Amino acid sequence: MKPGKSTRIALLAYGIFTIAFLYLPLLSVGFASISKARYLTFPIKAYSTKWYGKALESASVHELIMTSLKLALIVTAISMVVGFFGALAFARYHWRYRTLFQKLIMLPIFFPQMVLGLALLMWFNSLGIIPTWKTAIVAHLVWIAPIATLIIAIRAYSFDPALEEAARDMGANTWTILREITLPLLMPGVISAGLFAFLLSWGNFPLSLFTTGADLTLPEWLYAKMVAGYSPLVPTLGIMSVVASFLLIMLAFSLRWLVRSVRDSRAAEN
Amino acid sequence: MTPDPILRLDGIVKRFGNFTALHGIDLDITEGEFLTIVGPSGSGKSTLIRLLVGMDEVTSGSIRLRGQEVQDTPANQRPTCMVFQSLALFPHMSVGQNIEFPLKIQGVTVSERKARALELLEMLRLPVSYYDKRITQCSGGEKQRVALARALAFDPEILFFDEPLSALDYRLRKTLEKELKDLHNRTGKTFVYITHSLEEAMVMSDRIAIMNEGRFVQIAVADEIYGAPVSRFVAEFMGEVNLFEVRGAQTTGLMAQDLQIHVNGNAADMGLGLDPGQVGTLMVRPEYVRFLPPGETADFIISGVMHADYALGSRIQYEVKVADGRLLTVEKLREDRFTGAPGDKVMLGFDAESAHLIHEGADGKI
Repeated sequence: MKPGKSTRIALLAYGIFTIAFLYLPLLSVGFASISKARYLTFPIKAYSTKWYGKALESASVHELIMTSLKLALIVTAISMVVGFFGALAFARYHWRYRTLFQKLIMLPIFFPQMVLGLALLMWFNSLGIIPTWKTAIVAHLVWIAPIATLIIAIRAYSFDPALEEAARDMGANTWTILREITLPLLMPGVISAGLFAFLLSWGNFPLSLFTTGADLTLPEWLYAKMVAGYSPLVPTLGIMSVVASFLLIMLAFSLRWLVRSVRDSRAAEN
Repeated sequence: MTPDPILRLDGIVKRFGNFTALHGIDLDITEGEFLTIVGPSGSGKSTLIRLLVGMDEVTSGSIRLRGQEVQDTPANQRPTCMVFQSLALFPHMSVGQNIEFPLKIQGVTVSERKARALELLEMLRLPVSYYDKRITQCSGGEKQRVALARALAFDPEILFFDEPLSALDYRLRKTLEKELKDLHNRTGKTFVYITHSLEEAMVMSDRIAIMNEGRFVQIAVADEIYGAPVSRFVAEFMGEVNLFEVRGAQTTGLMAQDLQIHVNGNAADMGLGLDPGQVGTLMVRPEYVRFLPPGETADFIISGVMHADYALGSRIQYEVKVADGRLLTVEKLREDRFTGAPGDKVMLGFDAESAHLIHEGADGKI
């Protein structure tokens, strides 16, 4: 259906408004990051990229990024595995406590993260565990693994159970079915879940605040600097973080494109 | 002496909680035959086929494949294979990879797999270039053929079909029905097909098993099921039919309950008699009913008024209103069409050899 003229104008206006609403704040942070001044003032009088240079040289910035990266990568990997099997339990198989499982798994997502972080910290304390970035892995997983499960479950719902049955009927055992049928078909969901898991962990502040102990992640550092001791490194690292996330998404898209073209060219060769 | 059956079902019962889906199914399937199980939806035919391929477990009873009990053997260890209603083609694999899947599981080498897949493509009349085609790029009919090729690659002892043609349009379905029958002849394999379509069953099968409410009501060749059904259910399920409730009578052999049917002679002598007091159902298919011109006669004669006519393509269907107010169905080829108009008085006649008597109490148990 082709919309009428007034509808088209309304859609365009809505689109522009939405994009502006989402990206203007980011743009202003971008400007702040290339301001020459020591303090955040508008309008910006002189521009410089020196803060980017400083950020790249700083050892503490390196450490921040490494901590955030390690945390996010481990959370991503575990979320993908847990989410894959969780999604099968959530959407694919009918078992006795499935509806209960489906409800319980949603709860951590709706739990306020601040409260969840505090609760986890108290729990770690009572177990005698000293919080570091490693305990934050557990905290992040409590919140992120259910989200990964849901994302993969959406894919699993659109999956015809007859595909697995057909494979079994033709002699495949459970492991072969998982490797040849289930995993490849759910892979797009697993990849999306991985992307979400990484971005949610990379940008998470409330859970990290309570559970990283003496270690600092990037969002924690940004917050601390904004509250006390602003430096133009704040918008600089903010923008660098956004760019890193953006690059990751681009990387995922190009990987998908690469896999497809390899597969197609291999098919064409035969 | 009939040969040993390839598959023998003995008292198969399947219960889901309190609901009994199958009430003791017995059936012998002969090697190389094309058997179709037909029944309305909910009759238990899908439940039965899932038990036969091993996707569900029987509650009780036995399934013997060449004499060996297999009811507890899981699907992946049974030498049978099924073509699914949804076809269940793997969307992430090419046509060739789909066909080769069972061979890959069996550990056949790559080159041998490909040779076999190409052979099967040819057998199913698909171009060899389809080997690399993506499943999503295939049409409905092509997908059917790929699914068949994949099942044949498995080289099953028995090939099961779960209504694989039901999603296709009429013309394609007709073509594929004939191709399937042809494929059955060429491969010589045992085919067991389930469908709710009587036409499909009649076109393809050597034998038809009619199922209703978890039981077989009649198992016979198509002609017998069509011409001599054991119950009203089978008679009505197998297409248009005229049914008359009758009881035994002294001089004419039988008489209709609420309708004047003139019997020319004694029905008992024609093999359609009932003992006095006994009741039954007299059946005649619409194509065996004639319009009687003056002076012509038949074994059974009914008078009525032409009500309506419907063009069915090569045939024309007429509805004739008779004394008790109901409509009888008559079908004629175009060349034998009725020349009068609605409202005309007509005489309908049919002969004993084209009629069939269903005895009361034949409620579908065999």
